[in-house]
Amino acid sequence: MTYFFDGSISGFLTAFLAAYHDEAALVTSRRQQLILGEAPVYIKTDETRAARAKARLLCFDDGCMKDLNLLLRCGDDNSEQIAFSYFKKLAKSGKPVHNMLSDDAVFAAVEKIRRVGLELHRFHGFIRFMETASGALYAPFAPDHDICDLLLPHFRARLPRYPFVLHDITRKKAAVYDGKNAFVAPLEQAEIVLSGNENAWQALFSRYYAAVNIPSRERLKQMRGYLPVRYRRFMTETHGEKK
Amino acid sequence: MFDFLLWEGYNGGMITQEKLTILTESAKYDVSCSSSGSRRKNEGGTGNGYAAGCCHSFTPDGRCISLLKILLSNDCIYDCKYCPSRVSKDVPRATATPEEICELTMDFYKRNYIEGLFLSSAVHKNPNYTMERLLLVVKKLRLEYGFHGYIHLKGIPRADESLTREAAKYADRMSYNIELPSEQSLKLLAPQKSKESLLLPMKQLTLERAAFVEEKRKGLIKKGYFLPAGQTTQMIVGASPEADGRILRLTQSLYRKMQLKRVYYSSYIPVVQDSLLPTAAAAQLREHRLYQADWLLRFYGFGVEELVGEGENLDMEVDPKCAWALKNMHLFPVEINRAPLEALLRVPGIGARNAHKILAARAYTKLKFEDLIKMKIALKRAKHFITCDGKFYGAKNELAVRGLLTAAEVGENATQLSLFDDFVRFSDRKNALVALDGQL
Repeated sequence: MTYFFDGSISGFLTAFLAAYHDEAALVTSRRQQLILGEAPVYIKTDETRAARAKARLLCFDDGCMKDLNLLLRCGDDNSEQIAFSYFKKLAKSGKPVHNMLSDDAVFAAVEKIRRVGLELHRFHGFIRFMETASGALYAPFAPDHDICDLLLPHFRARLPRYPFVLHDITRKKAAVYDGKNAFVAPLEQAEIVLSGNENAWQALFSRYYAAVNIPSRERLKQMRGYLPVRYRRFMTETHGEKK
Repeated sequence: MFDFLLWEGYNGGMITQEKLTILTESAKYDVSCSSSGSRRKNEGGTGNGYAAGCCHSFTPDGRCISLLKILLSNDCIYDCKYCPSRVSKDVPRATATPEEICELTMDFYKRNYIEGLFLSSAVHKNPNYTMERLLLVVKKLRLEYGFHGYIHLKGIPRADESLTREAAKYADRMSYNIELPSEQSLKLLAPQKSKESLLLPMKQLTLERAAFVEEKRKGLIKKGYFLPAGQTTQMIVGASPEADGRILRLTQSLYRKMQLKRVYYSSYIPVVQDSLLPTAAAAQLREHRLYQADWLLRFYGFGVEELVGEGENLDMEVDPKCAWALKNMHLFPVEINRAPLEALLRVPGIGARNAHKILAARAYTKLKFEDLIKMKIALKRAKHFITCDGKFYGAKNELAVRGLLTAAEVGENATQLSLFDDFVRFSDRKNALVALDGQL
């Protein structure tokens, strides 16, 4: 049976309890093809039941909610089902399973967590801020996974004097730091006025990027491995190169 | 909610594109790019240290951009034969002001283009003057601009030790480039530099850093830093005749005696013509092999004597760990379910991450060959040196293993093996046949 939930952690935990004994359960929050003759189950998030499930799972592995948080951020279609299988394994084992790497469910979950973590690390470097006329910084980007708010602490710690907006174009939301508070808000499109010097600084960085390259040692394949083409869309130095 | 994006802003000073190009072109052959090792905190200004390091971009040559790599000046009084900024070479010269470097760093940093500054300089006027200017920039950045991001500062040989000490309080990392791996080569190609002028300041900084760490541990010093990310150095490979064995012995002693964080290797590129220099660029494969050996020295428990003799070069056909394993076949195969970490780390193809994965997974179940595949452990090389639950899946004799490992190496760097066309890529016909035989 297919169990639909709202994509939240509590929603997942409610669905997890509902689907636990169903051997053919498919847990998802995404739109997908229903199986003919099968009535889907729409899970209504129940905070009390979710809290109960959470408390029980934390007894088995005190780091498991961190894993779940990353798994539900994964942009891949099957990530919620992978999370379900992983947590079922955890509940059945009654002890941490994240090192049980020869198990399919565990390895798949660990791989998804690794990929979300890798993208988060990459965007610590690949975010490109533009200075607006107000002095605030604005960075549009299109991550594969829902990591927008996870980037906030990093940039808030290093740029406490600058208000900034990290705009996830794909999910139409933004992580905002207004100079005092940080929060996440829906944002379809941002209207920005660039500062007078912004274009000149961008040109200067593009010039730097060209000058620091050693043309006689071209290794484009290696470059692609480290800086996939899909990430270049909002990068100053690659002039918004698209896949 | 987003109104603050529309407030009034400011205009600042800016280095010219031409000056930036000249000063970057001269700095780009310095290979050090890492920004790791510093946990410097933001104390109310801009920036902080990111202990893991962070790459901000990658250039078409496959190298990362982490730091703004720039010279303060390329106007040099020295005449090092290999250097594009040497005094006898007719090239455009430029010198940046401290303010230009500071503005550039701050504006690049806040746009997240860079993780920090890598500041070097040609020896302008004299070593002390140059070091004073470098120190001025670093102090300005830290004290006036409130910059707490990463700073890698190049040390100037023969500068006064008080300047070096002062610089170490503000920089996260310092480096003196050894450039050439022997005193004779240094005399020949960089006559104004000497072994002592490079090693003494490195030694001074090592001792002072150790004393600082000890005093901080005892609580005698509460605040401040002294090279939190340590020291590095760089050697040019292929400009002088030293063998890999000699280079790696020097590397090992730098790691063990000077506690250096990294030794970088740069395969020689003929950017200047001189009768004392080779006309062709050194093979990048040699640089790659040296880095592989360097990794084995630092993270895999190897000693240089195990990898290469003093006057010998590393094997170009297979990586240094494979070469060592082929010489020590009597130690293999090791059982994946019982071998200690040290033994797993010595299996070709199994890196530190995978060795730990195996240790973690085997605590739950006896691992089989299929399990390793499932765990995405690369077995192309490893299968010849391991057993899984008592079963062996590799080639049986040493010659076949060597052929297969060579083939695997070629396969990684080239196109798919073709039965007839690609024979020439193997070192010799015998190896090529062994590879095919082994596969069949």
